[in-house]
Amino acid sequence: MTRIIIDGREVEADPRQPLVAACHAHGAEVPVYCYHPGLSPVGSCRICQVEVRLGDLPPRVVVACRTPVTEGMVVDTDSEKAHAVRRECLEFLLKNHPLDCPICDKAGECDLQDFAYAEGQARGRTLEPRRELDKRKPLGDVIVLDEERCILCSRCVRFFEEVTEKPQLTVADLGSRSVIATFMDRPLEGNYQGNIADLCPVGALTLKAFRFQARVWNLVKMAGTCAECSRGCAVSVEVLRGGEVKRFRPRHDPEVNGWWMCDTGRFAFEPVNRLDRVAGARVRGARGLVPVPVEDALAVLADALAVHAGVVFIASPFLTVEEGAAFRDLARTRGAGPLFLSPPANGLADDLLHTGDPCPNRRGLTELGFEAVDAAAALELLRAAPAAVLAGERVVELAGREGLAALPTALRLTVLDAYEVDVPSLDVLVGLPTHVERTGTWINVDGVRRPLSAVKSPPPGARPLVALLADLPLARAAVRGGATR
Amino acid sequence: MSAHPVYLLDAANTPGAHRLAKYRERGGYAALEQVLKRPIAPADVIATVKASGLRGRGGAGFPTGLKWGFMPDPDKDPRPRYLAVNADESEPGTCKDRVLMERDPHGLIEGSLIAAYAMRVSTVYVYIRGEYRGSWKRMQEALEEARAARLVGARILGSDFSCEVHLHPGAGAYICGEETGLMESLEGKRGHPRPKPPFPATSGLWGNPTTVNNVETLHNVPFIVNRGDAWFRSMGTPASTGNFLCGISGHVERPGVYELPFGVSAREILERYAGGVWKGRRLKAWIPGGSSTGFLPASDIDVPMDHDSLKARGSMFGTAAMVILDETACVVRASWVIARFYDHESCGQCSQCREGTQWLSQIFRRIEEGRGQAVDVETLASLARGMAPGKTICALSDAAAIPTLAVIRHFRDEIEEHVRLGRCPFGAQGSDSNASASLLAGAH
Repeated sequence: MTRIIIDGREVEADPRQPLVAACHAHGAEVPVYCYHPGLSPVGSCRICQVEVRLGDLPPRVVVACRTPVTEGMVVDTDSEKAHAVRRECLEFLLKNHPLDCPICDKAGECDLQDFAYAEGQARGRTLEPRRELDKRKPLGDVIVLDEERCILCSRCVRFFEEVTEKPQLTVADLGSRSVIATFMDRPLEGNYQGNIADLCPVGALTLKAFRFQARVWNLVKMAGTCAECSRGCAVSVEVLRGGEVKRFRPRHDPEVNGWWMCDTGRFAFEPVNRLDRVAGARVRGARGLVPVPVEDALAVLADALAVHAGVVFIASPFLTVEEGAAFRDLARTRGAGPLFLSPPANGLADDLLHTGDPCPNRRGLTELGFEAVDAAAALELLRAAPAAVLAGERVVELAGREGLAALPTALRLTVLDAYEVDVPSLDVLVGLPTHVERTGTWINVDGVRRPLSAVKSPPPGARPLVALLADLPLARAAVRGGATR
Repeated sequence: MSAHPVYLLDAANTPGAHRLAKYRERGGYAALEQVLKRPIAPADVIATVKASGLRGRGGAGFPTGLKWGFMPDPDKDPRPRYLAVNADESEPGTCKDRVLMERDPHGLIEGSLIAAYAMRVSTVYVYIRGEYRGSWKRMQEALEEARAARLVGARILGSDFSCEVHLHPGAGAYICGEETGLMESLEGKRGHPRPKPPFPATSGLWGNPTTVNNVETLHNVPFIVNRGDAWFRSMGTPASTGNFLCGISGHVERPGVYELPFGVSAREILERYAGGVWKGRRLKAWIPGGSSTGFLPASDIDVPMDHDSLKARGSMFGTAAMVILDETACVVRASWVIARFYDHESCGQCSQCREGTQWLSQIFRRIEEGRGQAVDVETLASLARGMAPGKTICALSDAAAIPTLAVIRHFRDEIEEHVRLGRCPFGAQGSDSNASASLLAGAH
């Protein structure tokens, strides 16, 4: 590490990183456009100006993203000279910017807005017409480009060059005529396109899925973990007022996903925004499934557990470590080995992040002693069992609705899931929260433990599995029964 | 007509001067032979060039020997190393390297080989401006002749020194004449200049040690080796030694490329060599060293043509491409033409340059077309100050800013008159002012 002084404080800086990284690491606010910590620095936007003194040399105003950290360097990120160059730079950047912030999806999280505001650059001097370019140019199925808003930072170009290593974008033409383009206007390809919308410091690259969907300041954002594969990318779960998840965006996590996430995870809104949610509990009576208080449903489940031997316990791979432990303990009291549904690899695996394994907590459940079963084996076990408990988000889907519908009615089936189901053998149905509605821990493919958080409220009466199992009224009796048998 | 010694263009007008036989007749490749056969140690060649005081002729005037000395020691740094010859002559008004390549291509090959030997380089790329078909053809023919004569390739002249020379055509971008843009282009990429550091001597072509030299610079090298550094210093001024090629164009009687010693006055070039301002008119404004050095007023015409004297006048020696405007020319129109050129040629990486060159061009156009506003002069000045100096990756932004500041410094009244009148006082029909404009525009 190298010792430098940033804004009067002596700090340790990584000499392999450019000066701007040290400034950001120590809380100094230096604006950036072309610089991104996940990409190589090109030093083209010229906004990250800081004043640097080295030894007896006169102080210089330099771009921090292309300045190496040097022992004894004295950095002033708040110098008037640096601010002056930043203001000039902003005026140039705004020269052709359309200033259509009121209809721009980036407004509220736009670096051009934020830094222009921070640097106090509010007066425009240009009398010339602004560039008129394509305002809605689709770059494939995921991204729309607004050429007028683009400030040509080239982050998106470098993303495909350096991260996916399949270059797809370029800066076409020259100078003030430059535009971002694909070769021969071909659509973008691949499972990582959405990242360029996050990377875009302005509203030039927007997600088709998010266009005109929400003002970003109305989104409630919390840290979560992506559920779509066993990588478990760190995500920001962003929920609009009413409780609809509008975005998943990657959170920086150097151990898991770096700065990125795949489009499969990014656009996995459907499971968390579905409306067919189980609220509270239902129990089968003479006229089908009827709503009952959750305690009553748990009593029926407890009865089934007490009455039948050979109960089958099958979990969803979405159970957290905490839920898995509670479910395993319950299964063991009934002499059963805990199982979890493990669908086959989905073919989405790549070299970057996606593992192709749709079980977000495979590792956690395996470490708890669960055994993996596929849907066919699970249904085979269920057909032979007198009673069974299926527990966890998406467990019905993973077992297969058709397969469950064909089970003998003699089976006393209890399902704890987030989504509605009605099959003849279903005895008890209890609602659960999804992974954005509850806390807990998943362990990813590499053994990294990452948290879930409850960003949105579950439907009324849906309670986390750990709480439900703790309230199971015959659980203690069952423990005794199991012990004496 | 020259009273001073000439060497660069000595044989330029002899028929067949570009052929190997003719080149040898006038002592060609003797310097290379001397260096290889005597032999002279590479470090001693560099020392001689350093002692000669030779400065780069590509515009910046950097001492050539010093630049060569920046190349790392090959015994400690085994990476491949390159010499790139910048023959992408594109600065508006400049046409000297073209003459050298067309009339004396072997001079460039010999100079390049000596430079390569001195820096212990075995691969030379000559990056030739795409529009220079004549230069390309002559260089190609000369290279074939040289290769057939064992002057290029393996074991040159039977020595241990091997060096390959490759020609590479540009594709018409001004920015590829910027040394790092040139290297990107040579690598097959867009000609986007690279931030420095790292400098080319540390990390140039494909990340390896590279030196980029201008054509005219290298042409001087065989003469320095043959005749010695003291001879070279005997010409020019103490800080700017030797002769330079001046391409003079615009409103003159005899436009052309003239070989002159540093320190000659601009007036002498204009009056004695170029035959004075044409049509008996008076001088209004002139550019000393290519469009990026900006206009100077007629009152500065007695300035000596060397790096320090022009710097003291707030201008630059640049590529010694003088452009002369007579009293009928409109400097606003000429400034618009220059600004439009830089807008067209900015690579677009840096915010200031991409947006600023366009903005300058738009304002000059508005003023020239009679839609100027009182605030425009101040806006032009502050934009130019925001674009330079040294605020961007390369110097193209500076190249657009300097002429803007210069025209405001020396011709503010004329700009303000345009604004006041709401039209160009020289008239849109002013054919000669249009001629000056198209002359500059036609330079690239």
